[in-house]
Amino acid sequence: MIEFDHVSRTYGAKTAVSDLSLAIPRGELFALLGPNGAGKTTTIKMLVGLLRPSRGAVRVCGCDVVKDPRGAHLHTGYVPDEPTLYDKLTGREFLRFIADMFGMPRHLAVRNIDREIENFELAEFADELAESYSLGMKQRLVFAASLLHDPAVLVLDEPMVGLDPRSVKIVKDLIRARTQEGMIVFMSTHTLAMAEELADRVGIMVRGDLRFLGTLDELRGQVALETTSLEHLYLRITASPQDGDGTGGAARGA
Amino acid sequence: MPGRGAISESCRAIPLEAESRLFWWLRATIAWETLRSMLQGARLRLTLVSLLSLVFWGSLYGLFTEGFTFLDSIHAEVISLLFNAFFSSLLLMLVLSTGILLYGSMYCSREARLLLTLPVRPEAIFAHKFQEAMWFSSWGFVLLGSPMLTAYGVVRGAPWTFYVLLLPFMVAFVVIPATLGGILCMALVAWLGRLRVYALSIAAAAGCAALAWLGWSLFRSGPVDGTSAEWFERIFLKLGVMEQRFLPSWWLSTGLIEAARTSPRPEVRVAALVEAAKFLALLLSNGLMLQVIAAWLARATYRMGYSQLAGEVPSRRQQARGGWFDELLSNCGSAAGRPLRLLLVKDLRLFRRDIAQWSQFVIFFGLLGIYFLNLRSFHYNNTYASMISFLNLAVAGLILSTFTTRFIFPMISLEGRRFWILGLLPVHRDQIVMSKFVFALVGGLPACCGLVLLSDSMLGIPRTLILVHELCCVVLCFGLSGIAVGLGARMPDLRESSPAKISSGFGGTLCLVLSSLYIMAVVIVAAVPTHIAVAAQAFGGRPVTSGFIGWLGGPQGTAASLLLVAILGVVGTAVPLELGRRAFRRLEL
Repeated sequence: MIEFDHVSRTYGAKTAVSDLSLAIPRGELFALLGPNGAGKTTTIKMLVGLLRPSRGAVRVCGCDVVKDPRGAHLHTGYVPDEPTLYDKLTGREFLRFIADMFGMPRHLAVRNIDREIENFELAEFADELAESYSLGMKQRLVFAASLLHDPAVLVLDEPMVGLDPRSVKIVKDLIRARTQEGMIVFMSTHTLAMAEELADRVGIMVRGDLRFLGTLDELRGQVALETTSLEHLYLRITASPQDGDGTGGAARGA
Repeated sequence: MPGRGAISESCRAIPLEAESRLFWWLRATIAWETLRSMLQGARLRLTLVSLLSLVFWGSLYGLFTEGFTFLDSIHAEVISLLFNAFFSSLLLMLVLSTGILLYGSMYCSREARLLLTLPVRPEAIFAHKFQEAMWFSSWGFVLLGSPMLTAYGVVRGAPWTFYVLLLPFMVAFVVIPATLGGILCMALVAWLGRLRVYALSIAAAAGCAALAWLGWSLFRSGPVDGTSAEWFERIFLKLGVMEQRFLPSWWLSTGLIEAARTSPRPEVRVAALVEAAKFLALLLSNGLMLQVIAAWLARATYRMGYSQLAGEVPSRRQQARGGWFDELLSNCGSAAGRPLRLLLVKDLRLFRRDIAQWSQFVIFFGLLGIYFLNLRSFHYNNTYASMISFLNLAVAGLILSTFTTRFIFPMISLEGRRFWILGLLPVHRDQIVMSKFVFALVGGLPACCGLVLLSDSMLGIPRTLILVHELCCVVLCFGLSGIAVGLGARMPDLRESSPAKISSGFGGTLCLVLSSLYIMAVVIVAAVPTHIAVAAQAFGGRPVTSGFIGWLGGPQGTAASLLLVAILGVVGTAVPLELGRRAFRRLEL
């Protein structure tokens, strides 16, 4: 359903993503991990059509993101790292705008808007202008907007930033429920505990390379460490050659 | 829950018309909410803006009526040249301004990032941002052009159809340069990539060179009498280069002149109207053709261009420039004054790296400089020269006041979000306020004093009067800096991160109004005695009148006025600054 086919992206002389090949089937929650500057955000931007790959192709539900961006976007919901809203629209108006852009029939739009307002507990402020919202409120509204059209793919870039513990719980529960119904969640995060708790598979990127791809059990099998916590495994894989013993290299071919 | 894999049943791609309708709804809702919040929270600003616009419109109408009446009586054909010169200059400015606005809103805004992740056609996003940019870049044309063209119609006794056709003509004209600007912007980003800065610089340099050549060729034969028929003929002969039939500006001016044509014979009136309609159709059809090209270009290049631009790595090297000066400023002077100097260096770096700030500063003061440089060509007599020199002083002050309101007033508010940095440093809050004041003063003083000196030199003003002007200029710079910093500290908006929004709020409006009143007070107090003295000289040194007015024109009156100017300066600087310092000391963050 999501396919990265030998995708590379360069910024001038710098390679941000190098020959990434990855396929994520429906119903899977995939977590992309990696240190700052590893290429996670570039990967996500290519997936949602904001950046074009220098080489290779990205497909969402069979639609090439470059050749048929509108087709790909109809399948996709996106929660960026910084929520973008129209300050002079109320939360409900913003949701209506998004629903209309996705061509949802009016009755369905109204039903789904009410559903998401309830899911994300937005009722209290849904009719106030977005300029008065806190960061957490904005983030919840963007989540609601991304799920309005029941997308097949949900792309999350650092989704928990600014959310309070209760909102985090709401988001986690919703993500779990939706993946069980068949939705793909592609998530980039630094919160290892959340990846450990939710992800079916993880990918670890370092300097544009996908150093590891697999389940946590596979990761534990590859990196010979006494500890089994994702944090230790992650630190081992992302360590630079000077820092560690090069175990990361062993996992590279995964 | 709908099945996954195929496009869910709940959504579908919508037609282009529906996308356009949605964007119209979006703009209308945002405009209404903005107006509502202005009516609720910024009535003073709204009232002031409306009143000033009305006054501005009325003054322009009066000015143009006088001008057209005068021109109509000597050279009626000159009006066509005048229209062509005005509209062709406007054509160029609209191309540039819309292009720049579209560059910001299509490639650098967060809204564009949101829209590009939705199933929206790129041409619909372009149309949405284009309409916004066209409005922002052309409202000045409406404000300036409507009184001018109305005055023209009234002077020529134009039929009612002329007034009906005015708005369609203006809109049809504006679409052409605005679309050209959009096409240029998209083409530059898509195909010239990193070369766009050089391409724009070359275009700007070529434009400046052309204007400089035009200016030089108008005045190269030495001083001229600006009211002579010979000078008029020379000017309009030069401006004739702008009267080109392939330019939309010619279609507009010819169409308008035809629409305003009067005749006792009905068949002539009808023929003129048909001719005007033809030019309107020409403008409309060309505008629409360019829109089709722009939509095609947006479809073909917008996403690609956005991706290319987002993939550029900003140069870090440029940001390090000027480091030696910062080091010098930080380390010179006493240890006690170091915190103040460090704050100054920080503000200087932010100013240097914010192109929006220094480019506006350079453009406005640069344009004023060009105007002052040309003053010598007009050979004003002493009375006029004295009056114009004081008007120039006021203009320099007014431009400085817009900068202090737009950039200095919000500085304290902008520290709000970063106050955890300054708040933890061993710096007294007074020093933060004073650093802003010194920054504003050091930035404004050389530019204003230099410009006033240039104006006086070009006008051939005597040295004593130059000293008076320079004193006034220093007083203006101190006062305007004090008002902006003082009010900024007294009425900070610590939640707002946009300097434009801070300066357009109540505090910013009050700052601009007080600054304008202060400038008027200083200039009037200094100008009146000087003007009376100059008038007395024109009458052979005899006093113009006796009593208080006569005393005012004498040396004692001049000294008293200068003393009053100095007092105004002290009060205008110290009072707002002290109020601001006290409020800032008490401020809870």
